[in-house]
Amino acid sequence: MNNDKKATTAKKAAAGPMVNWGNYQPGAFYDELISSPGNARAVARGVVNAIGKFSEKQLASKQRAAEQAIQEMGISFTVYSEGENIDRSWPMDIIPRIIPMKEWRKVEQGLIQRLTALNMFINDVYNEQNIIKDGIFPASIIESSKDFLKPCMGIKPIHGVWAHICGSDLVRDKDGTIYVLEDNLRVPSGVSYMLENRAVTKRVLPQLFSKHNILPVDDYPSQLYDMLASLSPRKVQNPEVVVLTPGIHNSAYFEHAYLAQRMGAELVEGGDLVVGDDDCVYMKTIAGLERVDVIYRRVNDDFLDPEVFRPDSCLGVPGLFRAWKAGKVSLANAPGAGVADDKVVYTYVPQIIKYYLDEEPILPNVPSYLCVNDEHREYVLANIESMVVKPANESGGYGMLVGPASSKEECNKFRELIKKNPRNYMAQPTLSLSTAPTLCGGKIEPRHLDLRPFILQGEKHYVTAGGLTRVALRKGSLVVNSSQGGGSKDTWIIDTESE
Amino acid sequence: MLARVAERLYWFARYVERTENTARLLLVQHQLVLDLPAAIQPGWGVMIDVLGAGEDFARSKLKPTEKNVVAFVFGDKSNPGSIMSCITYARENIRTTREVMPSELWERINSLYLSLVQRARSDLPRSNRHAVLNDVIQRCQQITGLLSGCMNHDDAYQFIVLGRNLERADMSTRIIDVGSAQLLGDDDETQPYRNALWISVLKSLSAYQMYRLNVRRNVKSHDVLAFLLHSAVFPRAVAHTLHEIQNCCVNLPNHKAALAVAKSSREHLLQVDLAGLRGDALHQFIDDIQLNLDQIHQQAAQTWFRIQAA
Repeated sequence: MNNDKKATTAKKAAAGPMVNWGNYQPGAFYDELISSPGNARAVARGVVNAIGKFSEKQLASKQRAAEQAIQEMGISFTVYSEGENIDRSWPMDIIPRIIPMKEWRKVEQGLIQRLTALNMFINDVYNEQNIIKDGIFPASIIESSKDFLKPCMGIKPIHGVWAHICGSDLVRDKDGTIYVLEDNLRVPSGVSYMLENRAVTKRVLPQLFSKHNILPVDDYPSQLYDMLASLSPRKVQNPEVVVLTPGIHNSAYFEHAYLAQRMGAELVEGGDLVVGDDDCVYMKTIAGLERVDVIYRRVNDDFLDPEVFRPDSCLGVPGLFRAWKAGKVSLANAPGAGVADDKVVYTYVPQIIKYYLDEEPILPNVPSYLCVNDEHREYVLANIESMVVKPANESGGYGMLVGPASSKEECNKFRELIKKNPRNYMAQPTLSLSTAPTLCGGKIEPRHLDLRPFILQGEKHYVTAGGLTRVALRKGSLVVNSSQGGGSKDTWIIDTESE
Repeated sequence: MLARVAERLYWFARYVERTENTARLLLVQHQLVLDLPAAIQPGWGVMIDVLGAGEDFARSKLKPTEKNVVAFVFGDKSNPGSIMSCITYARENIRTTREVMPSELWERINSLYLSLVQRARSDLPRSNRHAVLNDVIQRCQQITGLLSGCMNHDDAYQFIVLGRNLERADMSTRIIDVGSAQLLGDDDETQPYRNALWISVLKSLSAYQMYRLNVRRNVKSHDVLAFLLHSAVFPRAVAHTLHEIQNCCVNLPNHKAALAVAKSSREHLLQVDLAGLRGDALHQFIDDIQLNLDQIHQQAAQTWFRIQAA
């Protein structure tokens, strides 16, 4: 008895200091797990207590176990640097980000509402253009949009849906409000990492799962397959669904292969497909040509079909656009869907929802100022130091100004740029992104994060349970991109009511 | 299955097999050099001939010394037939077909590749040559075993077996060709050592022990030729590889033309009276077999890899 006690004490001493939540300082930001020093939010209490029973060493060894699992499972992403592609292990923090189911149900409704309206908008823009005729939306924005594809005019895809897979970026501000930062309607990526993060957490922290009702995420590939199959132009039992990838050198190749494998679909490259004289798409198999019904394409519009878009592209399939236009094959997402992905169109989403659905938006937009509007421009020029300025027609954070992080010269430079070409710029107040406890150098510290859920629309809608949480691993940083030192977290939607 | 995937698996298998064969060839040459008196040692240039790398080697403007040839055949990336190059190609082919293969395969091929990247920096000195080459051979065998034991023996597997056997047949005929050119002549100087040289030919194909078990006689030139060309039981004998190739064809769709070429190649091989073949006639015969192997490859490519639009 006495010896046992001694042994336990010795073991504890060897394990080093325990995790102490009292030292965790969320500061002025909204923290997803901790409401004030030492106090967990109700939904996170179980996880926070369980982690509090680990020593710091134990927690660090679990983080290492997760990293090893990621390596063994081959979860990687590709970084381009000086002409060489490097496969890096996917960075994941083991402490999950938690959202109560009640709150999530509302977010889900908001996302479905948003995508439904955006698809009606795209379909309208390429057909009757009622929203323009009714004076709600200016024609000039469409005409100057890089992502508006004239060849798509007059086309009505199955179910009237253009953006079948959407990844919307959500952020939470100081007061706890969740905003939509942007909608990715072209070829959004990241969903495979959401699935793999869950698989890794199950491996390294299985004990946390028994205590909670965590909504599962792993039905996404079958939901994706069902949605894609619902787009088949041929009414057959098992339509041929394929994933079209630009190839191994694309940064998201891991995801393309992963999703194809999980759906049991062929992973094809442009050279594997051919369009026949009958306008049907065929893939080249060892038994000859086989008709393809639905293409989940992960190739950008520009490269899709050298006959219609960039003639120098060898990633696409000559004649693919013709086949799509003839209704012989479905493309997800449809070419031209990116027209609603424009940062200026984004500012109109509340009006778009109202116009098509006659509903108030459930999820708010981040307040945005269009520099082409005189009143807005004056406001931006006066407050540029506290704002984020974005070029309207670009994606991926190129040519941005983050006011609070910039020098006086940089702010003045952007003032000039805005005056010179106001259509090209929009601005938003700098949000105080929420934080969550993250393991940094052996200690738990708050780090900023966002969330990318994935929304599917075909015959029906589907929203992932949570999504991919991206976290800025550098202290104080708001940049969550994995190529720039960002990490990720497993995201848990917890049902507290049925517990 | 996709034609492109089939083609990549086929080449993957060829490159792994080529790696193993090349490593064994280097190893045997290394041991032979230790065995024979300097005067009759086969020059290192023979390696280059067997591998058909004469043009590439000439371009490097190097002398065929031991050091140069070993470095060229082992780690030289500018030589497309080097062990380093073969494994690089094998890895590239499998990278894009990972989703149809057992996941351990990628780990094995990747770790073999990484170990070679490390080792290719040295020119493989005699002191650790045996250990390194043996390791390469073993890892290749591990990959072959993994696929045989852990992968569905479906269409994808047929393309792997097809590639492996064509590559085996190719290497066996090359070794026989060069070996017999050296050994069937009337050069008196090599007379006392002919046995050792024939044994080394057998060893290059991992065939010595199997030969003894099967033939049960001392090593004689025409017995060796018969064993390496006609044996129905030794997996590296050309007749055996052609039999395997026929089996693969039968399992694949639209196989009529490919099967016919494989069948007639095997018949051609088995009909010949080996005892009557000497010198130029033997060389010519081996050339014919090589041509047949190429025809099988061309027919396979046309049937299964190069699918044309209707």
